[in-house]
Amino acid sequence: MDQFIKKFYEEALDLIQELEKSLLILEDDPSNKSHIEQVFRAMHTIKGNSAMFGFVHIDKFTHNLETVYDLVRLGKIKISASLLTITLSAVDHIKRLLNEGEHVEQDTLAASDSLTVQINKFIPVESNSNNIADNVTAMSEAESVTENINQTTYLVSFKPHADIFKFGTNPLFLVDELCALGMHISFPAIINIPEIAFLQTDTCYTEWNIFIASSEDINSIHDIFIFVEDDCELEILPIADYNLLGKEQFINIISELYAANNTFDISELRNYAQTLSSAEVLRGDKQIAKRRENTKDNSISSIRVSSDKIDGLMNLVSELVTMQAQLSLFAEQNFLPELTSISENMDKISRRLRDTAFSICLIPLDNMLTRFQRLVRDVSTELNKNVTFLTEGTETELDKTMIESLADPIMHILRNSLDHGIESAAERKRKGKFEQGTILLKAFYSGTNVHIQISDDGAGIDVEKIRVKAIQKELIAADAVLSKQELLELIFFSGLSTAEKVSELSGRGVGMDVVKRKITEIRGEVEIASEVNKGTTITIKLPLTLSIIDGLLVKIEDTLFVVPLSSVDTIFAAKYSELNEYNHLVIHAGKQIPYVYLRKMFHYSVNTDTQEQVIVVNYMDTSVGIVVDRVVGEYQAVLKPLGKSFKNLDIISGATILGDGTIALVLDTTKIIKQFINAELNQNKQISL
Amino acid sequence: MGKSILIVDDSESIREVVCFTLESAGHTVIKAVDGQDALRFLDGTKLDLIITDLHMPVMDGITLIREVRAKEEYKFIPILFLTTESQNDKKMQAKEAGATGWIVKPFVPEKLLAAISKVVR
Repeated sequence: MDQFIKKFYEEALDLIQELEKSLLILEDDPSNKSHIEQVFRAMHTIKGNSAMFGFVHIDKFTHNLETVYDLVRLGKIKISASLLTITLSAVDHIKRLLNEGEHVEQDTLAASDSLTVQINKFIPVESNSNNIADNVTAMSEAESVTENINQTTYLVSFKPHADIFKFGTNPLFLVDELCALGMHISFPAIINIPEIAFLQTDTCYTEWNIFIASSEDINSIHDIFIFVEDDCELEILPIADYNLLGKEQFINIISELYAANNTFDISELRNYAQTLSSAEVLRGDKQIAKRRENTKDNSISSIRVSSDKIDGLMNLVSELVTMQAQLSLFAEQNFLPELTSISENMDKISRRLRDTAFSICLIPLDNMLTRFQRLVRDVSTELNKNVTFLTEGTETELDKTMIESLADPIMHILRNSLDHGIESAAERKRKGKFEQGTILLKAFYSGTNVHIQISDDGAGIDVEKIRVKAIQKELIAADAVLSKQELLELIFFSGLSTAEKVSELSGRGVGMDVVKRKITEIRGEVEIASEVNKGTTITIKLPLTLSIIDGLLVKIEDTLFVVPLSSVDTIFAAKYSELNEYNHLVIHAGKQIPYVYLRKMFHYSVNTDTQEQVIVVNYMDTSVGIVVDRVVGEYQAVLKPLGKSFKNLDIISGATILGDGTIALVLDTTKIIKQFINAELNQNKQISL
Repeated sequence: MGKSILIVDDSESIREVVCFTLESAGHTVIKAVDGQDALRFLDGTKLDLIITDLHMPVMDGITLIREVRAKEEYKFIPILFLTTESQNDKKMQAKEAGATGWIVKPFVPEKLLAAISKVVR
């Protein structure tokens, strides 16, 4: 059962996301028909599903919203800014109702009521009265206008057997159910009911003739009577392939016919239908064609798979890659031409399988976008700032789990930009900027990384303010000499909030340090650049995948390490004597390259005898060499976590199992270089950080 | 308006799933493990609907339906029985015994609720 509820939640959340997206589009383009339809459909489905799963409050709440958007759809109400605002808060309210599930709080219900009142104001008086009078009729009438052409008019004659009550059946329920399918006119035949003295309470005397116009097919109507098919006489006769009941003329005719002889001649009715229809059907055909076209566009070429299954697949692929390494090793050791060729082919296939499996886990950044747009919209309205939110490259794909952990940090950065970055219109004018501020969210691939940049053209960050604050908070010494960049990066330390006064939005105690920590948790990095009065850019760099990387297998003494291939630029050989120990530089191809001597870092003795290998990796904007004993070769590393005890060891990002069962540690080159620089700086005591 | 519904089934999981669906839709549910057990509740307890399995130990569904219909108080109560596609002959028997309708197993919540809405409101 829980799984049904879970499905319902999942689906509802998806629908809400879709709703928000469409609503935001409608804000820019209020007449966009397809999005109006989308909003209506989403509302309709949320309402329907919540009713099905017993979420009566959601059902009740969405009912009026659905009515409003039905009227919008029919062109009876125009989309306005105020309607969108109230709709968006209503969508938030649906989320709240979803969160509270079955046990809805009293004040949530009160909020429901007050929102409902506001929503109802949008329903014109005429349709509003209908709505109060009878929900079902209001709906079927509204629907009949658009779906007129898709409907069929039937005559259903239903004569229950006299003993039907003995089976616990109440025929009235069935009549009700039938009438709920669409517009209807019912002629109950009560002439068989005897005088009260002869009346037997357990006998059914009534029969019905019901005209119904519905888009349901004849089988659905049969289904209503499925339980009683053997206990009644039932005839369902299609009269016309459109809604006859919308025509007053027809209603008059059938009323007269019934009054005259209590029964209907079906061929006579069909003739009437024919003469009444011709003009209308022609018009209808065009609309049907149009509608078909629309449904085609909406067809989805994807399937929904539970993330457990994908995780399972990823695990299997990881296992396969490890096994493949074993096979390659075995083939190498026992030189058999056939085995080598099999192993090489297997290697190719497993690589492709790995890449395909990864791409399954990737979802475009688009999925989060609505939340951001919504945030910018709401916050800028609240702060009364005029801001456009531009996006670029949101089709860039990222690992699903990363996307999930990214949403909060990005929201926080956006909030900061809106609150502290973008100035008020007046101030911007004074500074000679456009009154409208701009925030740009840009995503792009860079090597095997994905970069997400959030830039604003606001006030920028005053590094002097940071310095004062940092000294105040004893993060740096009063006489510390720090570059502008170093000062800027101080904002990632906890306890440093530069906002002079803490506003309600940002600065709730969660600062950039949390952003940094969250990004680091998914092996990402955050960088900041800022220019006073020009704006701030925050760049989040993320690895494409989390679990398997292409690596370079290297050796120091007998220990194996993996360097991520993505960061490797070039490799060259050098003897220890060629390394300049004083200023840590090695000269290669006429260029001075700073280096990190890993033997020293890992407390091995210095190797002065043999040639060593310098692996040049990209660090920030420059190249840094990492010196190891020997390069073994390329290796696909399945990244396994080191476990709790080594959680703080950030220069090692994980471990991997090699083909022969030994373990190699995966190095995080950026962290190694950072740690090296810090160690050197501390030693020289040039600055204290 | 929530109804009072008696569910009779010897399988706990079926009882639970039906119970959960019905309670989520706002109904009150009484559970019984077989026909004999169900009869305990036919002592004047206000019931709006009985849902019963057919194959049960001690007393099967068809006997239960007959028993229910024999009681003056529950003569007109709607009774739905749970059945599988392959039990068409059983369907006829249950119908003859006085059942109102049936729910084909396996079912999804909306099917169950739709079937119920046909017979109680």
